[in-house]
Amino acid sequence: MAPATTINQAGREVRLRDRLAEVWAYRHLVGNLVVRDLKVRYKGSVLGFLWSMASPLLMMLVFYFLFRVLWSHRVPNFHVFVLVAVLAWNWFNLSVNAGVRCIVANASLINKVYFPREILPLAVVLGELVNFLLALPVLMAMIVVSGIPLTVHALWLPVIIAVQAVFTLGVVLLLSTANVYYRDVGMILEVVLLAWFFLSPVFYDYAQFRGTLLHLGGLSMDAERLAYILNPIGTLIGNYRTILYGSVGYVGGIPMDVANPPGPPDLGFLARTLATGLFVFAVGYGVFARYSGRFGEEV
Amino acid sequence: MLRFEEVTKVFTLDHARSRSFKEAFVGAFRRSAPAAERDRLVALDRVSFELAKGETLGLVGPNGTGKSTVLKLIARILEPDAGRVLINGRVAALLELGAGFHPELTGRENVYLNGSLMGLGRSQMSGRLARITEFAELGPFMDMPVKHYSSGMYMRLGFATAIHVDADILLIDEVLAVGDQAFQNKCRERIAALRKSGMTIVLVSHSADSVRELCARALWLERGAVLAVGPTDDVLEAYHRSVVAHEEARWAAEHPSDSAAHQPAEPDRYGSGEIEITSVELLDGDGRPRHAAHTGEPLTVRLRYRAHQAVAGVVFGIGIHAGDGTHVTGPNTRAAGLPIDVAPGQGVVEWRVAALPLQEGQYELSAAAYDSACIHAFDHHHRRFPLPVRAVGTADRLGLLALPARWTHVAGGRPEAPG
Repeated sequence: MAPATTINQAGREVRLRDRLAEVWAYRHLVGNLVVRDLKVRYKGSVLGFLWSMASPLLMMLVFYFLFRVLWSHRVPNFHVFVLVAVLAWNWFNLSVNAGVRCIVANASLINKVYFPREILPLAVVLGELVNFLLALPVLMAMIVVSGIPLTVHALWLPVIIAVQAVFTLGVVLLLSTANVYYRDVGMILEVVLLAWFFLSPVFYDYAQFRGTLLHLGGLSMDAERLAYILNPIGTLIGNYRTILYGSVGYVGGIPMDVANPPGPPDLGFLARTLATGLFVFAVGYGVFARYSGRFGEEV
Repeated sequence: MLRFEEVTKVFTLDHARSRSFKEAFVGAFRRSAPAAERDRLVALDRVSFELAKGETLGLVGPNGTGKSTVLKLIARILEPDAGRVLINGRVAALLELGAGFHPELTGRENVYLNGSLMGLGRSQMSGRLARITEFAELGPFMDMPVKHYSSGMYMRLGFATAIHVDADILLIDEVLAVGDQAFQNKCRERIAALRKSGMTIVLVSHSADSVRELCARALWLERGAVLAVGPTDDVLEAYHRSVVAHEEARWAAEHPSDSAAHQPAEPDRYGSGEIEITSVELLDGDGRPRHAAHTGEPLTVRLRYRAHQAVAGVVFGIGIHAGDGTHVTGPNTRAAGLPIDVAPGQGVVEWRVAALPLQEGQYELSAAAYDSACIHAFDHHHRRFPLPVRAVGTADRLGLLALPARWTHVAGGRPEAPG
């Protein structure tokens, strides 16, 4: 078979299908980069990859101590309530944190070898997904031990994971490109992610705002709905929680120490989040594709 | 196949570009676009050339003239600003040995990682692992993190991996100049073998010998433009003449009122002038001056020099080039183990050959006097003297050399030992 002709030309339109086919041809590289990053991360640590489980558990303990012991927060099985959210948040947070620098940090590769550049953000998001999946058995065990029923609704998990993956990848594609031209992006991001963490329902629940009406220039809006609409990660965490943990009964925003069993996800919000995710991905990939040809001289 | 079509590449110099929001904001309010214009570097200016499958091309030219940029455009690390590059086949780039290796991973893991950087999967690399290990001579070390490797081991693994990925086009950027002699020779041999097997090779090297050895064609780049492309010897010759002329012009600018012997009107002569070679003569076996030398007969080349000061450890040398530019030989007194200390005044150096093995033809002689390290030229006449060679009474007239040999023929049996 005669080798195919590649054309190196600025601004040449490459069809999405061809781009994706090239990424597929380099799928082994994605796997190798994921394995490389995991190996390097746990090199020299005694627990090794057990840290994928240990670190969210430790985070969970911190929250448990803070809210259950110090503030006597009355959310039943608060440790599961928090752990579900911590895992999802960590996946997003670690992906974005590592992803924003993934082009700049791999300058030595980009300067010396050609490969589809989108492999790098993809490997970061998938690598953190592997971490997330490694910790899932711990979560499942915790759910069962705590007497929360594992229901058929848990089968929605892959769907929610897929939506989060698309959204996260879009964000990382966009930010990693921006960071090549403006290194400030990485600096600002630390603060943004801290704020985003507090604005996401990790140790609390948007359901606490239910019934609170916000008045925005003549428009009345339910605070819970508004929070879900504005924060895709909030919606995702809410959905993980609904299918794995259930929901908490609130009276006037105060948790009442009663929990409803897991139920189906809010499909309306999930669909909306998928749409948001696809939009962010399209914008992120578009920007990335437009600028990635110049990474070789910019990093 | 590889084709450059009017390829232009412009770099914006680092300090001219905003790197942070602050600079971007400041830049937005400053009307200084011309400053940005000034900080652009045209690395390649409408460069076009074509290379067929299995051809070998050497890129020559001074530093910073876009040679590496050409390689990076072929490797698709850079994108052209105008024009386009057509690449037919898989490209392996030896821009840096072991690029992409991670220090924490073992040799074996890095081989797989490197293979996947070339788009090869684990199973495809598994089949090559044994050959890579063997070529790199790293048998017992493949499961050791490469951070514990010596730099030689690191480069051996890098080279071995790069040449085992079945590329159609191999890009080599000066990497031959690293590693110990044995490894360099091994690399050279392997590259020569790859060349024979029909691989397309593009080489950037400052070593004329490497280019001559590996490349049938050469391309001379200067300030982003193609000055010559063609058979390696022709291009190298033209490039060398230009380098000499440059040095001469620079020398002339630095020595405006020197003797007439060193005027820039002699582009093929250069040197600092402490010692001048005043004449070159050809003598026959009886010591008589001759216009031409004769094949198979004694020849003496006599250099007369004049030294303006005492210099210790001078190396005198001559060079013989064939008419087509082939460098036939280049003997010198250092290689022959003859130390020469020169006192102010005149002297004679002679090179004698008992039976000249050159075939009939028009050759050119160079003559030079260098310092003891053969780096600094006191006087260098590059191919300035004609050396006509005449064959008298010999029928053997093909090629450059007439070697002192004898034919035998034995019908119907094995040749017998010569007696």
